[in-house]
Amino acid sequence: MPETAEKFNFNELSEKALGDKRLMLAVASNTQRQYDGRQQRMAELPNPDALRELAGQIKQHTLDNLDFYLQQLVDSVRRNGGHVHFASTGDDARRIILNIAKKAGCKRIIKSKSMVSEEIELAHFLESAGLDLVETDLGEFIVQISHDKPSHLVAPIMHKDRASIARLFSEYFHTPYNDDPESLTKQARAFLRDKFRHADLGMTGANFLIAQTGQVCVVENEGNARQSITTPRVLVSLVGIEKIIPRLDDLAVMLKLLARSATGQPMTIYTNIFGAPRQSGEKDGSEEFHLVLLDNGRTEILADEEYRETLRCIRCGACLNACPVYRKIGGHAYGSVYPGPIGALITPLFKGLGTFKDLPQASSLCGACYEACPVKINIPKHLINMRRDIVRQHLNGRLERMFYRLWAWGMRSPFLYGLIGSLQKFDLRRRAKKTGWIQKLPMAASGWTQVRDMPPPARKTFHQLWKDRN
Amino acid sequence: MSDTTEPNLIAVVRKALGRDQPISTVPIPPAIDESIARLVDTGADLRPLFLQNAAEAKFHIDLVNHENLPEKLAAFLKSQNCQLVGMSISPLLEKLDLKESLKSRDIDLKTWDELTLDVAYELDCGITDVWAAVAETASLAILPDTKHGRALSLFPPIHIAIVEPKNLVADLLDLTRKMSAIQPPPQITLITGPSKTADIEGSLVTGVHGPGFVQIFFLE
Repeated sequence: MPETAEKFNFNELSEKALGDKRLMLAVASNTQRQYDGRQQRMAELPNPDALRELAGQIKQHTLDNLDFYLQQLVDSVRRNGGHVHFASTGDDARRIILNIAKKAGCKRIIKSKSMVSEEIELAHFLESAGLDLVETDLGEFIVQISHDKPSHLVAPIMHKDRASIARLFSEYFHTPYNDDPESLTKQARAFLRDKFRHADLGMTGANFLIAQTGQVCVVENEGNARQSITTPRVLVSLVGIEKIIPRLDDLAVMLKLLARSATGQPMTIYTNIFGAPRQSGEKDGSEEFHLVLLDNGRTEILADEEYRETLRCIRCGACLNACPVYRKIGGHAYGSVYPGPIGALITPLFKGLGTFKDLPQASSLCGACYEACPVKINIPKHLINMRRDIVRQHLNGRLERMFYRLWAWGMRSPFLYGLIGSLQKFDLRRRAKKTGWIQKLPMAASGWTQVRDMPPPARKTFHQLWKDRN
Repeated sequence: MSDTTEPNLIAVVRKALGRDQPISTVPIPPAIDESIARLVDTGADLRPLFLQNAAEAKFHIDLVNHENLPEKLAAFLKSQNCQLVGMSISPLLEKLDLKESLKSRDIDLKTWDELTLDVAYELDCGITDVWAAVAETASLAILPDTKHGRALSLFPPIHIAIVEPKNLVADLLDLTRKMSAIQPPPQITLITGPSKTADIEGSLVTGVHGPGFVQIFFLE
């Protein structure tokens, strides 16, 4: 994919997030709750690590043979009476979907939550083409009417509190302010029910595509995706090609991990498995089914044997909830629809390392993401590899490169190492003379002392002590 | 339209994998080791496990038999103020012969063939049987066809599911095997509790777009 001209400043965005106390509290408590839920539910499995390993192997096997499974999926969907469309880019996908709607004379779209549609900004495109499109997942509906962006893969409005939602609803529906979550949900339900009833096109993404049977699987808790696949006469599922798994049995394995990892549930409320038009004589279900398969940079990642593994991701959000960085700054600071550790990895892969070179650095490499991942993507390893790529492609700053060249020069000579060490020791001990602590450092090192003091180095170096002892 | 570019895209994927020909042998997916993946043994006592998990999933449960089911069903519908009730068509539900007994209580019962989708939106309650019930998760599998409308377990605020012991399967692995044995139907939905959301500050609200109340009558 071409490098985007997008501007992205991680420091600015994350500092803005850190300045928002309300946001920090909301994200911290939500991620903690989901983290605890996952821990508890995963412990119910006979051998959680082995199951994660198996799920990772299933996804990896499918990716390694994706040409075969893609062909099998396409054949199966057609055999069931569905239509298959291929889209190389987001632009292709948007055009294909608009054409499907136009050809079938559809004007009112109900859309359930899907990350891939966020990726290609589908809703916005269809709305500007004059179609009435409504997001039907409660969180996504709130994102849509507040012209906001989702900040979490599973819980899109994790960054919002009830007061801001209550103000929004009061304005949107012209009703008195009421911040009770139950009343707010009822209000949205009544509004959306009318939309369901009159929709002529339903849109979904997918959690999994089953190659052998040609079926799509979408999991959810609210029932809005079920509405999308039940009421409208045309049904379109837009899915990335990496969502394929070989068989229904593999689906059972994936389902045991997905909801546990995402929300700490053994199963989501609804698991919808579909992918064919209604049979003759049926009163509900779609009359037409279209599967739009999207590449949009995926085959480039597939071609890279090192990073291919990142396509295993099932978008459960467990790595976000576990990440000490995400838990502080929330999702918007990552500047992409895919936030958190997995986002720090795939956003540069999708959109170019040049613009997003700060993202692989936005990690303490503590490994909590790897430990949480239900398909065992070694995120820390890939983040380190990506830092290596940054250096190899000279994307890091000139000053940084100069500093490391100097450092390498000093480290290679025992004499220079000793000399620089003593100068540094002399300077640091001088700075700590007054209080016994180093309270202020110059230039690049000032960040350290802004928030904490540092003890001075010992009078004698280890080398000297060693010499004295022997 | 898009179909013309299809061979191209599969070729793009193939090239990305470093091949220029389709692989000659069918790839074999990793074997599923049941000691890792299975949570419930097929030989286990499924009834108590299903009932326990169903309670945890926030289903309402009542144990019934063929004699008292019509009475219990009618009493339940009355207690919930249901006036318009829709029902799937199945030998089990036909045998119960509910129509007349409900009529005498001012409850209008319509079978799926008597309903339109518009009327389905007005239903107070939908009654269905199930295709399978998974003991591992208490998931109810609904398989729609001409006699089993999708809307019945989705549109009304209350869904009543009649579950029989013969519906029970042990594990999700057993369900997917049961599914593999039939032609892929247009849709199968697993229901594992009342519709809910926790989108607003993580507080749990039931009854969003699907039924907020799901009653299981476990028929023995």
